[in-house]
Amino acid sequence: MVVHRIYKKKQLMVGSTGRKQRKKVFDWINVAFMLIFAAMSVYPLIYVLAGSFNEGADYITGGIYLFPRKFSLENYQVVINDIRLWKSYGITLARTILGTVSGVIFTAIVAFAMSRKSLLGRNWIYRFFIFTMFFGGGLIPYFWVINLLGLFDSFFVYIIPALFSVYNMLVFVNFFKTIPEEIHESAVMDGASEFKIFFRIILPLSGPVISTIGLWIAVGHWNSFFDTMIYTSNNNLWTLQYYLMKVIKESSMPAAGVSLPIELLEKIAPETVSLAAIIVSVIPIFVLYPLILKTLTKGVVVGSLKG
Amino acid sequence: MLNRISLKSAERKAYEKSLSEISPLARVHNKKKWTPSNVQLLLMVSLGIIFIAIFAYLPMFGLVLAFKSGDGYLNVMDAIFKSQWAGFANFKAFFEDPDFKNVMTNTLGLNILQLLINFPAPILFAILISELPWKKIRKAIQTITYFPYFLSWITYGGIILTLINSDGIVNTILINTGIAPNGVDFSTAGWFWPLIIVTSLLKGLGWGSIIYTAAIAGIDPQLYEAAAMDGANRFHRIFKITIPSIAPTIVLFFILSVSGILNNGFDHIWTFQNQINLATSEVLDTFIYKYGAVDMLYSYTTAVGLFKSVVAIVLLGIGNFVAKKTTGSGVI
Repeated sequence: MVVHRIYKKKQLMVGSTGRKQRKKVFDWINVAFMLIFAAMSVYPLIYVLAGSFNEGADYITGGIYLFPRKFSLENYQVVINDIRLWKSYGITLARTILGTVSGVIFTAIVAFAMSRKSLLGRNWIYRFFIFTMFFGGGLIPYFWVINLLGLFDSFFVYIIPALFSVYNMLVFVNFFKTIPEEIHESAVMDGASEFKIFFRIILPLSGPVISTIGLWIAVGHWNSFFDTMIYTSNNNLWTLQYYLMKVIKESSMPAAGVSLPIELLEKIAPETVSLAAIIVSVIPIFVLYPLILKTLTKGVVVGSLKG
Repeated sequence: MLNRISLKSAERKAYEKSLSEISPLARVHNKKKWTPSNVQLLLMVSLGIIFIAIFAYLPMFGLVLAFKSGDGYLNVMDAIFKSQWAGFANFKAFFEDPDFKNVMTNTLGLNILQLLINFPAPILFAILISELPWKKIRKAIQTITYFPYFLSWITYGGIILTLINSDGIVNTILINTGIAPNGVDFSTAGWFWPLIIVTSLLKGLGWGSIIYTAAIAGIDPQLYEAAAMDGANRFHRIFKITIPSIAPTIVLFFILSVSGILNNGFDHIWTFQNQINLATSEVLDTFIYKYGAVDMLYSYTTAVGLFKSVVAIVLLGIGNFVAKKTTGSGVI
């Protein structure tokens, strides 16, 4: 205990790599470089924020870099009047929540079984899974299977194919292996079934890995647009990112088909409206970011345990 | 204790039954048997087996398309079952396709550039971050640079496209500082590769470094203290302690990157691709999407996809072999 405390005290005096804190030229160059890079990577967001709060007609003349010049909320007014945005928002929200919960549970159940040494034929099942990480049928054969299952143009095309991933399963397995065998054994002694052990004992012990993989899956769902592009033809199944792609890439006015007051239409421009749409789509990620960061930085340690 | 192998099966069963009556623990040690617990585990794992059979192995059956002439069919099912066998004609057609050279050059070129620049960059970034003596700045830089990773390419790339168009901030700076008095048109073919590399760094460098940051954090600080006592300077420490300590992580991720050499993140390319830069922006993934999903050349694009998978698996094997020879550890 005492030794530990001394060690901790000593660590306080040094940097992360155990270096005494004497700043040198290298440090100043290093920090300058880092700050410039950080500014560059975050600048696009600042720009969008400034542009989205600027009057459209004024924005077109250029020169908006950090702050809005003619402050206006009209872009947001147009965006929140766009029924397509809310529809796609709803679809994305639904697939993210449903897809994450079902994906985590499904993958964890399989991973739990795979982590048990007593599983019959475990090595063969492992090979059966791992092979698919490196070899697959490709786009068209996959498309055929989606059609075969009747998933084309169905909301469940977002959920079912994303239920399971071998990579995530391996991360789960590596975590489950660190749970002491004794816990499992004592549960067996109490007559618990494997299902009970999984839901009552293993899952409650797996907080860090569940939140890590849950967030991976959730971010994937939130940002996905390829499946909309290829597996659906129904406008009602548009996801948020697909909607944004339509708005940005084809610079179509988001509010197509929505009747807006004429005096509003005169002031707005498609460019600023799409910037406002981007901000609206990023808000959930921004709000949850502290949580995401906390969970995932912990999760990296979880995931790297296997290395 | 008792030698189980010497017992006959009936005796063995009786023995195990008696054991499990005495102590349920014995059931746990009794592996490879059809006990209720094992059946339950098999039920659980069968979920995954069925899923993978349907979503990974069934499409592999669909690969027969590559050896058939199913290009004229309206639906994939007919293309698979009703078309004639074509041997290797689809592969031959791809190798002779006027676009073949371009697509392969772009796919491989972009990936090799990514391997040379975007693979080592996060390692360097992690080392530089760990060298920052200000803890708060370190934290702030990590928080800021990790963020863009969580945005989609559509969003982040879409914004960058606005920044680099003719009246965007990048061109304003270039014109006003006199670096390029007439401005630069970034939508042309010549700018596509640099654009992909730079935007990859802006979006992914921070987050990409996190795994190495974690690895560096796991290094025993006493190593550095001992080295400092022996008079090691910063560069000694980086090259003699930090890099060797995180080498296993580097090797693991290197092999994984090599196997992905024919995958150029579709979303990323798709966001920056336009009609003008096709000569340098068309890669296997976009090629397959356009000719397969849009133009319905099912057999042709399946053949292209199969070619891609085979090359990837060969590269993975080579990468793994090299890693085993040089560092003594592979992935597979």
